Amino acid sequence: MKTNRLLGYSVACLLGLGAAATAAEPVSKEAVLETYANIAEAKYADSLIAAQKLQSAVDALIANPSADSLTAARAAWLASRVPYQQTEVYRFGNAIVDDWEGKVNAWPLDEGLIDYVDASYGGPTDENEYAALNVIANPSFTLSGKEIDASAITPELLAETLHEADGIEANVATGYHAIEFLLWGQDLHGTEHGAGERAWTDYAKGDACTNDNCDRRAAYLKAATDLLVSDLDWMAKQWQMGGEARATLMSDENAGIVTIVTGMGSLSYGEQAGERMRLGLMLNDPEEEHDCFSDNTHNSHYYDGLGIRNAYVGEYVRVDGSRVSGPSLSDLVAASDKALDDELTGKLNTTMIKLGAIKSAAEAGFSYDQMLARGNEGGEALVMGGVNALVDQTKSIERVVSSLKLNDIEFEGSDSLDNPNAVFQ
Amino acid sequence: MWKYCLILYSLLLAPAYAQEVDMPKLVTNVVNEHILPGYERLATRSAALSKAVETSCPDNLDAVKLAYNEAFDAWMGVSHLRFGPSEDNNRAFALAFWPDTRGFTPKTLASLLTDNDPAIHDAEKFTTVSIAARGFYPMEFLLYDTQFTEEPAPQRCDLMAVMAKDIANNSAAILRDWQAGYGEMMIKADNDIYRAPEEAVRQLYTALTTGLQFTAQTRLGRPMGSFEKPRPNRAEARRSERSQRHVLLSLQANRQLASLLSENDEDIDRGFERAIRIVEDLDDPAFAGVGSIQGRIRVEALQGAITLTNDLVAEYLGPKLGISAGFNALDGD
Repeated sequence: MKTNRLLGYSVACLLGLGAAATAAEPVSKEAVLETYANIAEAKYADSLIAAQKLQSAVDALIANPSADSLTAARAAWLASRVPYQQTEVYRFGNAIVDDWEGKVNAWPLDEGLIDYVDASYGGPTDENEYAALNVIANPSFTLSGKEIDASAITPELLAETLHEADGIEANVATGYHAIEFLLWGQDLHGTEHGAGERAWTDYAKGDACTNDNCDRRAAYLKAATDLLVSDLDWMAKQWQMGGEARATLMSDENAGIVTIVTGMGSLSYGEQAGERMRLGLMLNDPEEEHDCFSDNTHNSHYYDGLGIRNAYVGEYVRVDGSRVSGPSLSDLVAASDKALDDELTGKLNTTMIKLGAIKSAAEAGFSYDQMLARGNEGGEALVMGGVNALVDQTKSIERVVSSLKLNDIEFEGSDSLDNPNAVFQ
Repeated sequence: MWKYCLILYSLLLAPAYAQEVDMPKLVTNVVNEHILPGYERLATRSAALSKAVETSCPDNLDAVKLAYNEAFDAWMGVSHLRFGPSEDNNRAFALAFWPDTRGFTPKTLASLLTDNDPAIHDAEKFTTVSIAARGFYPMEFLLYDTQFTEEPAPQRCDLMAVMAKDIANNSAAILRDWQAGYGEMMIKADNDIYRAPEEAVRQLYTALTTGLQFTAQTRLGRPMGSFEKPRPNRAEARRSERSQRHVLLSLQANRQLASLLSENDEDIDRGFERAIRIVEDLDDPAFAGVGSIQGRIRVEALQGAITLTNDLVAEYLGPKLGISAGFNALDGD
């Protein structure tokens, strides 16, 4: 009788185990990776579409410079950031993205490399002797001992000669932030409310041109925007069926799952909570804002956070309103540890609420640079709310690594030791 | 009946390390032999620094420098422990902001002095000042950089005094939190921060690998720059010629942590021994030598030895503990 009962319990347990597994719908790692790749494909395609709209708006600005056409170009830039920021979670872990992203989203930049700046900006620095080069004003100059002919401002000149000139990362000549600077100009308001105030006449023709070299400025803006479009076009292709990014991801299921988790954790902790948010706050420095010229930092943080959530729950709403979704890492975690899945989902949602609070305060007029001002307690509380939520979710992301038994994976291949971006170092 | 199932489940899922490694004991040893003594030393020496500035600035700057160097040495013994009490209230950020890639420190110091900012005279207000002007690194500028030492501003000693007081307050607060419960909480590992001993061990393991990575990649990598363009001016604390010393002290601290976590793994320890021998033999206190080929080769060899040691940790210690490092601050750009 006793034996029977014990046997009965064991059978019940096994049944329970089976039932639990089917209830949570067993999800294959391959299917999870496929969703992750499909979302990447959609996000980069959306980023491309939005950049093409920006390109048209820039062409219109150059053809017919006016306050309206500048405003339209700025609006197109802001819209283009929405899908792109959501892709940032793909950077860490996917080597192909990380190697490429410096071309499109490098930051912070020494903008004096590109165009005129205020006297308070200063000149060359210990760190960067080309910090005030001003390519727009100088058709020829010497760079690392080489005479450069910059009489024609072309995408090649920007990408091959100027970008990261002299091996300095702050020499950002291409990408979203170079374009942002050309559309807004420097934000000279410090930690007061207000963004860059470049006048449309910086692109005006003939005598109406302000700050000189309007034609070269227009050529620069055009070259940088064209380059952005072609770079995004390339990345979008890498995620399509047969593309290299997708193929690499799918080639090893376990490594692929590690890639997802690495991207989520690295962006949450070291990059967003640390470098972008906490450091800027503790330095009281508005230049540490991610989108400092346009005062769009609140959105930049918000959509970065949303991208992390997208990667976990396996869903993304496209710029046309359609939805891409499928089996997710969340499903995979839930199948083995429902409580942990609830925990992480809850924390990702909390982060969105905290980042949402920053966004709504900024949109109501309390801009991100004001939050960074020394002694501004309300601002500090808002920013630290986001930081703490991101740090907190990182802890749960680490628990996912343990729960899915991904610990040993990083030590298996020599790849892990050679490529620090691929692992949790 | 569900209780019975849970036991069955937990047996099925029992991790392999459980029989081999006594995790609570490891954490206890690290807290008692590494962390607490390290923070006690920092708190004592920071208090002494604060006193030295009060009594000896500007009449006896040598005494101030001596106290400063001793306190900074103590920081190097704990600088890799960036979690818990040192993260709370951003204390470690306020003690040690480096690298300063955009030159905020001299700029912020100059503007505080020029404006005779009220924070110079008020320790409470000083806590709202940018971290670029708080902690050990800006103090180095005030003591060693000609911009601040030649024709010193009248408020220099007051600024140093409030800075030293701030350092002492933060150091004391970190120690207090460790003593008042954080150490215990980490050992017990029955809370939401550390749910299991494994999570506490992972935190310590992450501190170890991050510390080594930071030394190789940042303390050495920054001044090394590229072969074509070495960057000796980027060396850590080069003005006080502490760059080489920081590598030595941080390796010694990480060696102790590694030895406690690995229960004296000889292979790992040999890795540390080799790296420490190279840094001891180096005669390049501010890494100015990276500008010459000879000098660069030596620093590169040191960097290689540290990276190798980190690889040994990943190869031997990680699997032994059944964990991998968590995320760290270097994961970003």
